[in-house]
Amino acid sequence: MYATLTGISFLILFSVIFLSTTRFMRHQIDDSVASEVGEILADSPGRSVDAIQGVVQALAKHPSGFYYLLQDANGAVRAGNLPALDPREGIREWPQVAQGAGSAFSALRGRGVNLPGAYLFVGWSTHQLLEMEEMVVGSFAWGLAASIALALAGGLIMSGRLMHRIETVSQTSRDIIGEDLQQRLPVTRAGDELDHLAGSINAMLDRIAGLMKDLRQVTTDIAHDLRTPLTRLRQRLELANHAENDTELARTTLASAVVEIDSILAIFSSLLHIAQIESGARRQEFAVVQLSELLATIGELYRPMAEENGQVLVETIEPVLMVKGERELLMQLFANLIENGLRHTPRGSTIAILARRAERFVCVSVVDNGPGIPQQLRGKVLQRFFRLESSRTTAGSGLGLSLASAIVKVHDATLELSDANPGLNATVRLEAST
Amino acid sequence: MRILLIEDDRETAHYISLGLSGDGHEICMAGNGREGLQRASLEKWDLLIVDRMLPELDGLSVVQALRQAGTVTPVLFLTTLGGVDDRVTGLNAGADDYLVKPFSFAELLARVAALGRRTPRLAVETTLTIADLEIDLLARTVMRGGIPVELLPREFRLLEYLARHMDQTVTRAMLLENVWDVHFDPNTTVVETHISRLRSKIDRGQSIPLIHTLRGAGYTLRVPI
Repeated sequence: MYATLTGISFLILFSVIFLSTTRFMRHQIDDSVASEVGEILADSPGRSVDAIQGVVQALAKHPSGFYYLLQDANGAVRAGNLPALDPREGIREWPQVAQGAGSAFSALRGRGVNLPGAYLFVGWSTHQLLEMEEMVVGSFAWGLAASIALALAGGLIMSGRLMHRIETVSQTSRDIIGEDLQQRLPVTRAGDELDHLAGSINAMLDRIAGLMKDLRQVTTDIAHDLRTPLTRLRQRLELANHAENDTELARTTLASAVVEIDSILAIFSSLLHIAQIESGARRQEFAVVQLSELLATIGELYRPMAEENGQVLVETIEPVLMVKGERELLMQLFANLIENGLRHTPRGSTIAILARRAERFVCVSVVDNGPGIPQQLRGKVLQRFFRLESSRTTAGSGLGLSLASAIVKVHDATLELSDANPGLNATVRLEAST
Repeated sequence: MRILLIEDDRETAHYISLGLSGDGHEICMAGNGREGLQRASLEKWDLLIVDRMLPELDGLSVVQALRQAGTVTPVLFLTTLGGVDDRVTGLNAGADDYLVKPFSFAELLARVAALGRRTPRLAVETTLTIADLEIDLLARTVMRGGIPVELLPREFRLLEYLARHMDQTVTRAMLLENVWDVHFDPNTTVVETHISRLRSKIDRGQSIPLIHTLRGAGYTLRVPI
């Protein structure tokens, strides 16, 4: 394919050069012949046939590359080294190989001039022209052959390298499918399309590996988080089993077992709830929600509890903040953020709910002045089951902020955790609906 | 109460019927939607408990068909995951309340009791009275032993809900749903603290306490026996 294309382009180039070269040479011949005719006529005083005959005879004696013919009106040769011709005016070629004046000549190209009572023809051998043509054709033939050979060889090498690289890619892919997700496609220094492709595939593999790691982490965490309550549950049931004579003890043990199971079920419900929200099939059912009123309700719901804990819950909420969303999910989102604040700050802390309109957005911040979250862990707290070491012992499933994060995502909003110096500032930015 | 339970899962049906008959109700069971709809429309019931997923005819269609036929029997809808959509569509179809599986006996009994009381109370009441506690629903004022008690608006709604269900068990979830319109479990002691505040305003310094905590179940407003 590559060789064919090279051949065709070579042929086109060849024809152009060939045609222009031969045309140029014909021009050269025509010009010199025309000037020779002019000189003959100029050297012949009065342009009489006899005068021209003298000039031509003199010229024909010294071979100069030119061939001459002077014939009279009857067609008889008067001078020169050519046989008689039919008296035709202008440029003509004479294809026959003729013998004359001891010099061999092949085809001639020359100019005929009709004079009063005579015909003068001056020609030039086209031998050179033919030789030139042959040479051009010959060299081009060689060039063509060489270039096709080179093209074939180059194509083979190129495709061989390409095939080799593609083979490497598919081999690596097979290895990755097989077991080793850590492997990556080789990226050469060439920076060509294949490298771009390999780069994209590698990025995709990084993402997949990350997701796999998350999944493994979550699975381990679920197992870990459920083991503790299940172990406690087992111990209690065993205890109840032993206390056959003490019905009161059996009853209270069973009751506490039920509480334990409820906490396990709550973890599962939260996980399912997160999954359900993340699948995000609800977006079209979003309605306009009056966020100010919703936040006031939540604030009022949690205030007594905060006061009971020796914490202060304050609100600064602009009136009539409207957003599009699902009321219940938004309520859960802000409830989770507030609960998070209440749960992870000591007595005497203040938790503030700030809601305001900022251009196209409604920003709701839940700010506390507790210990906060170290910057490097802020991304992690949104993951399922992640809990700071310091809060391992407090109540909660480690799912509250993951749920909040899922709700934020389904609303096309953002949740940003930042430093409140001291404490945590959790800001949700929703698009305002009016 | 005479209750028809339409539920295809035998285990759950058995569990529910045991719990309810232990509480003095009469339970009949239907294993699929068609049979359930038939029995629900032919016989007289005090309450229908309808599962969302049923063979032959799903729970939603059963409730819709009953409501279109003019049946006003209260319906308690059972759903699996607390999907908001399930709850909303269930209530829109004409159900009176819903419960998310798995649920506790206490929750089920409280809901059933609350629904059973709903029908006869259609007359508009303007005052609720328990012992010396008087609640004026129009003026939204409360008197205990003739002395006015200052309540915040939400505290009034909390007390009103308890009073409307006096002598019944009211669960935490019922209060969250009906007083705050919160349909998830906040996992904390929010309700407890609200109740203890209300209790301190209503019962403090009184010889007869009216607000009682039922361990593991919920709360009730009643004159102690």
